[in-house]
Amino acid sequence: MNRYEMIYIIDTDLEEAARKELIEKVSALIENNGGEIEKVDETWGKRRLAYAIDYKTEGWYVLVTFKAPAELPRELERNLQINENVLRYLVVKLVEKRSAVKPRANKPAPVEAPAGEAAPAEEAAPAEEAAPAEEAAPAEAAPAADEQ
Amino acid sequence: MSEDRGERRPRPRGGRRPRRKVCTFCVDKIEFIDYKDVNRLRRFTNERGKILPRRMSGNCAKHQRQLSEAIKRARAIALMPYTVD
Repeated sequence: MNRYEMIYIIDTDLEEAARKELIEKVSALIENNGGEIEKVDETWGKRRLAYAIDYKTEGWYVLVTFKAPAELPRELERNLQINENVLRYLVVKLVEKRSAVKPRANKPAPVEAPAGEAAPAEEAAPAEEAAPAEEAAPAEAAPAADEQ
Repeated sequence: MSEDRGERRPRPRGGRRPRRKVCTFCVDKIEFIDYKDVNRLRRFTNERGKILPRRMSGNCAKHQRQLSEAIKRARAIALMPYTVD
């Protein structure tokens, strides 16, 4: 069983009753094929399409999340393709959350010399610090020049 | 040749700005870029609806890959335009 998310667009010319029926039909299709519906989200409702599909500028968006065996999306897509009232559909597998992204540190933390071995470490540290500072200074100056 | 790509070598006046941009998705700690989040995605397309390159958006490679995937999905279901004219 995988988790999927499906979004499909219903023709707005379809009356409300017919639309409800269609949504029911799609949901039934999932459940009859061993799927398990988690949520049917109709809150998107009527939305303007970013581009015209079959000369239509609006569509009724329905978002469904469900658990299903791997064969189901293919069958589901086949059925949605047949239905004339469905303008578009997209079935996407939901990826389980992995470990958090570790943002990479931009600059290595400046090495602070412990008090005991101050003498040799101090010699090294300013030399390291000087180089990034030189890099940073013109970098900050440049945007100012750009803005003028 | 070595002069026209001055990323590493900052110049004192005019020209390129070598300042490194930071990936906004890393900053916001976003793991997965949702194709339904159109407002966020729109910031990474130009006024013609094209996906901005990394050198403009400053995204890291990982997030840029996810972002382009998300934008393409959004286009497929008419949430975002393929082209704007």
